[in-house]
Amino acid sequence: MVALSENVALAARPEVARRGPSPLGDRIFRFAALASALLVLLVLAGILASIAYGGWPAFQAFGPGFLVSSAWNVGREEYGALVAIIGTLVSALLALVIGVPISLGIAIYLTQLCPGWARRPVAMTIELLAAVPSIIYGMWGLFIFAPLFARFVQIPVSNVVEGLPIVGTLFYAQVPSGVGVLTAGIILAIMIVPFVASITRDMLDQIPTVLRESSYGIGCTTWEVVRYVLIPQASVSIIGAIMLGLGRALGETMAVTFVIGNANRLSASIFDPGSTIASRIANEFNEADGMQLNALMALGCILFVVTFIVLIIARLLVRRAKVA
Amino acid sequence: MSATATAVPVVGQSTADESAPIRLAVKDLNFYYGDFKGLKNINLNFLDRQVTALIGPSGCGKSTLLRTFNRIYSLYPEQRAEGEILLDGRNILDSSIDLNELRARVGMVFQKPTPFPMSIYDNIAFGIRLYERLGKADLDNRVEEALRKGALWDEVKDKLKQSGMGLSGGQQQRLCIARTVAQRPEVILFDEPTSALDPISTGRIEELIEQLRGEFTIAIVTHNMQQAARISQFTAFMYLGELIEFGPTNRLFMNPSKRQTQDYITGRFG
Amino acid sequence: MNASPAAVSGPAETASPRPAPQAWGRVRAGRRSADKILIIGCTAATALGAIVLGSILIMLIIEGIRGFSPALFTQVTPGPGSEGGGIANAILGSLVMTVLGIVVATPVGVLAGTYLAEYGRTSHLANLIRFLNDILLSAPSILIGLFVYTLMVRPMGGYSGWAGGVALAIIATPVIVRTTEDMLRLVPGPLREAGVALGAPYSIVIRNVTWRAAQSGIVTGVLLALARIAGETAPLLFTALNNNSWFNANLMGGVANLPVMIYQFALSPYENWRQLAWAGALLITVTILGLSIVARFILSGPKGR
Repeated sequence: MVALSENVALAARPEVARRGPSPLGDRIFRFAALASALLVLLVLAGILASIAYGGWPAFQAFGPGFLVSSAWNVGREEYGALVAIIGTLVSALLALVIGVPISLGIAIYLTQLCPGWARRPVAMTIELLAAVPSIIYGMWGLFIFAPLFARFVQIPVSNVVEGLPIVGTLFYAQVPSGVGVLTAGIILAIMIVPFVASITRDMLDQIPTVLRESSYGIGCTTWEVVRYVLIPQASVSIIGAIMLGLGRALGETMAVTFVIGNANRLSASIFDPGSTIASRIANEFNEADGMQLNALMALGCILFVVTFIVLIIARLLVRRAKVA
Repeated sequence: MSATATAVPVVGQSTADESAPIRLAVKDLNFYYGDFKGLKNINLNFLDRQVTALIGPSGCGKSTLLRTFNRIYSLYPEQRAEGEILLDGRNILDSSIDLNELRARVGMVFQKPTPFPMSIYDNIAFGIRLYERLGKADLDNRVEEALRKGALWDEVKDKLKQSGMGLSGGQQQRLCIARTVAQRPEVILFDEPTSALDPISTGRIEELIEQLRGEFTIAIVTHNMQQAARISQFTAFMYLGELIEFGPTNRLFMNPSKRQTQDYITGRFG
Repeated sequence: MNASPAAVSGPAETASPRPAPQAWGRVRAGRRSADKILIIGCTAATALGAIVLGSILIMLIIEGIRGFSPALFTQVTPGPGSEGGGIANAILGSLVMTVLGIVVATPVGVLAGTYLAEYGRTSHLANLIRFLNDILLSAPSILIGLFVYTLMVRPMGGYSGWAGGVALAIIATPVIVRTTEDMLRLVPGPLREAGVALGAPYSIVIRNVTWRAAQSGIVTGVLLALARIAGETAPLLFTALNNNSWFNANLMGGVANLPVMIYQFALSPYENWRQLAWAGALLITVTILGLSIVARFILSGPKGR
């Protein structure tokens, strides 16, 4: 039966030379795709190499002491990273402390509380917040937020806490201008909120409806469903989302440069001006040469290492959470 | 016990107690998904400590009906119910009803096992703690009691601190039953509780439901007629959002009064 | 069958009398208030987000609209202390560099995304590239500025529009890679199989079938990348910098652009500079938000999300 039909087919079809599209084109396309993908690797390696190369003289000149020295004196060519590192870490941590609860609140609102018709416009609003350029946040922070912050927070709080132990140092503004490390932390918080909120929302949306229904089914209130069931269920990816936010906060440049005050000294008060690695580079790079340039590159190198560790952890935790 | 297909299913040995008091009374119930009417004028009584099965083809409204008894549908704003559902004489559709408490009184077991992301012990204790403040010893006792009633105690007593997610599907479903029982509800709703399970696990859940009948009023939605026949005392047959026929299970299966019921249980449609 | 005592208690025939139902009102006040606090808190957090977006827009409109005049689009940025002026050179410079960036990034990004989705799939190399691309996606843009400075500005002896365009391309590429891969993965496998079954080489199937099926998604990725780089400031600071005149055609030397102009002018002591900064800020924000909205509508258009 099979043999017969094969014979018929062979007989019915005369042999013609068939030329398909050239296999060369196929190979070229495949090679181009691979090369483009490898370019991503190359760029990342290039970033690390160029910054390490630029910063190397500074690391060599100052040794490990670069990390713990708070000096930054262009005249005497003495450079240390401590002030910028602390400013970077403190502002980013403040951003998390303020931004994470807000992000979770928005994610919970969007997935649990928001009436159906409002979901899309509200989600769109939050996503647009992520599209606003960083420099606009800087202007908003400096011209709108800082004056209000000085008037309604810095001055009253400073008056209350003046002379008190600990809080009197931590929350005392010597010059209540509105700018400072805390202001930077707040602006950063606003900037990371849309990212953390939208990843968290996606994660909460992925939890099967039946788990949510069964928690309501044993008599839980919304708070209890969220606190004991939904958030623990999504905890790993939520931590990943928070780390992703941390990565952004650590490397954010323009907005921070506007509102942190760009002071090169250590202050115990989060109301006082400071600087971060990124803001220092943005401020000084164009006028720098010689060792100052190397020191700035070395700062960039430290930023690279810290953010990349944070981002690697974040990505491992989130595992392809939707970002776009 | 196995679910062998026969034209007329084997009917359970226990007989219906038609004189039992009414626990849950449904009166003129209509249900809407937005503009679509999912239930039409349902009138039905669920008797104390009897198992009532809701059967019918897919989309007939049997799950919809079940989901009105603990008002779980109100998680979705476009769904609404009209009419009366009296739990021990009190209308649970009334706006003054505290939904959380209603759900502690009317427990529900879902199609898929849904262990919470916490230990086996906490899966049970969580629901108890919501409504009762108990000391450690009392709580331990309640958890053990619930796990015994869920026929799970012997399998998990040495690993109470482990995650509930690590159990097998059948064990997870019994954990969910134990979790519901632990709250000492008045009514337990089962929404196709065995459709995601293998035949052996299904058998164990059916035995369990039979045991729980001694203590609770039970309503179960099932697409499996043999199962309805095996475990229920009363059966309600629904079709296209309407209650077609309701009565003691053996009468409904042996001698249905409506043509549609007859067609369905003999497998002519559905 | 099992030894649990519940089995002994048996079914209803020998049941004890029915227990009286418990009284209602067992939900503790603390639980109710925790729930209320959650609802109020979450609503407030969302309202806060909307308020911030609203106040940014209001600020830009109030401050920026005053600076709008024909001169804004015809004159170049003024020197220190001189009157008037516009931002025409900055607008043009931004346009040229952004277009340059997207023109470089689109083929590279689409091809790399195609490699990940169609060729590499779950190979170790593809997994590594995918992972590093995700990291590049969130990498601080200022580091990319430093990279391009070392790579191009220093060797070429000065700031240039080319360097600015390359920096923007590096930022745009991972966005396009990511969306392209995601969108290609949504294309059903049988569609590819049907193409291959016709005897077409795989590359032709990709170009004529898979890409076409994922077209709107890929366009969305490019638009999102465009929105992302249009407002980038930090990398341009070290690559294109700024210039108070029209750039020369070969893009050598500093090139004026909106973000750096805004940064320098907003913090300047000259009233007319600050006014120009606000007008530029309004222009750029409206453009970017518009691009984002269009991108999202394309994505959620006929096929839904």
